Amino acid sequence: MSTPPMNTPSNLPSQQDAISAALALYPARPFAVSDIGSQTGWLKAAGHDARNLYVSGPMGLATSVALGLAAVRPNEQVLAIAGDGALAMNLTSLATIAGAKPKNLSILLVDNRIYEFTASVPTPTCDLDWLAVGRAFFGAGQCLRLSDLTPERWASVSRPAMIVADVAPAPGKPPALGMTPAMIRAEFLGASKR
Amino acid sequence: MAETASSGQRLFRSIQAAKPKLVTGVPDGMLAQTIMLCEATPDFPYIACAREEECIGVASGAAMAGERAIVMVQNAGLLNSLGAFATMGLRYGLPFVVIVTNRGALADPNGYDIEKREAFDAGVRPMTRVFDFDAADLPDDLIPAAFKWAEAARKPVILALEKRLGAEAAA
Repeated sequence: MSTPPMNTPSNLPSQQDAISAALALYPARPFAVSDIGSQTGWLKAAGHDARNLYVSGPMGLATSVALGLAAVRPNEQVLAIAGDGALAMNLTSLATIAGAKPKNLSILLVDNRIYEFTASVPTPTCDLDWLAVGRAFFGAGQCLRLSDLTPERWASVSRPAMIVADVAPAPGKPPALGMTPAMIRAEFLGASKR
Repeated sequence: MAETASSGQRLFRSIQAAKPKLVTGVPDGMLAQTIMLCEATPDFPYIACAREEECIGVASGAAMAGERAIVMVQNAGLLNSLGAFATMGLRYGLPFVVIVTNRGALADPNGYDIEKREAFDAGVRPMTRVFDFDAADLPDDLIPAAFKWAEAARKPVILALEKRLGAEAAA
């Protein structure tokens, strides 16, 4: 396992900014499916939208939930947002997605190298080269760093694809979600039917 | 004499009758024929997952969009997925259907299946409603009826299929 090139935390974007930047790569708002905890909190902080699906399931399940959504909404773009600690708990989902080959699904991996919601304990994957992992599953042309992407370049990338974003650890947790599961489901159901 | 359908074919036809938007699963010997039929049909996508917990996630994604989804796993696989089942299926009230082969029955006595069945009884049944069926004698309207129940109850439903003594001839 090689050590990936690493910026210093001081010049890395925040998780919220990385999520905003990834969403801005799309010409129209994609469905955004976020993992429990940090990703859900920072996605909402980046901008609440009815097309956000805040997952309260086990860490890492967002990629699988996004795959199911992508399968039943093949004409919509879907972006799963996973943390490094979360995705490591559902790494097999990358194999499943690579096998299913959805033409409308991408994954944003936000790598802060800690469990942000759990006292910032380092993740076991803190030295993992996520770009190499993504390229092993999806191919070199379909796993790219967020900092290398523009909307034009992103539009030319085949799906399934993965974006790797090194992000700075946040000084605190994101604001509380403030939505019940029933609220999340009802709002998302309305958005997904339009 | 008309050729009778196998239990795997009958389960597939019942799945088709429910008009799901997707089916997902991890193979078990008792489900193999149904899975192969699901993979071959153009009626809906079959998503082959590497691990059973993913199946609960995939079905949840479809159900969140208001679409019908079916999971097919063995009892050990559902046991691996209880966290996802609880925090997605039950917490969000998602009406998907989980078809579980409940291995380790009296007519299915593999030593490695016995504890799975006991864990299924101890862990799954107190958590949610399980409807039990003879795998060799499934009603034609099983899956449509299961969706009607789940949609009325606003939660997932588990259909436990098992081998029963004396059922081999019927299968």
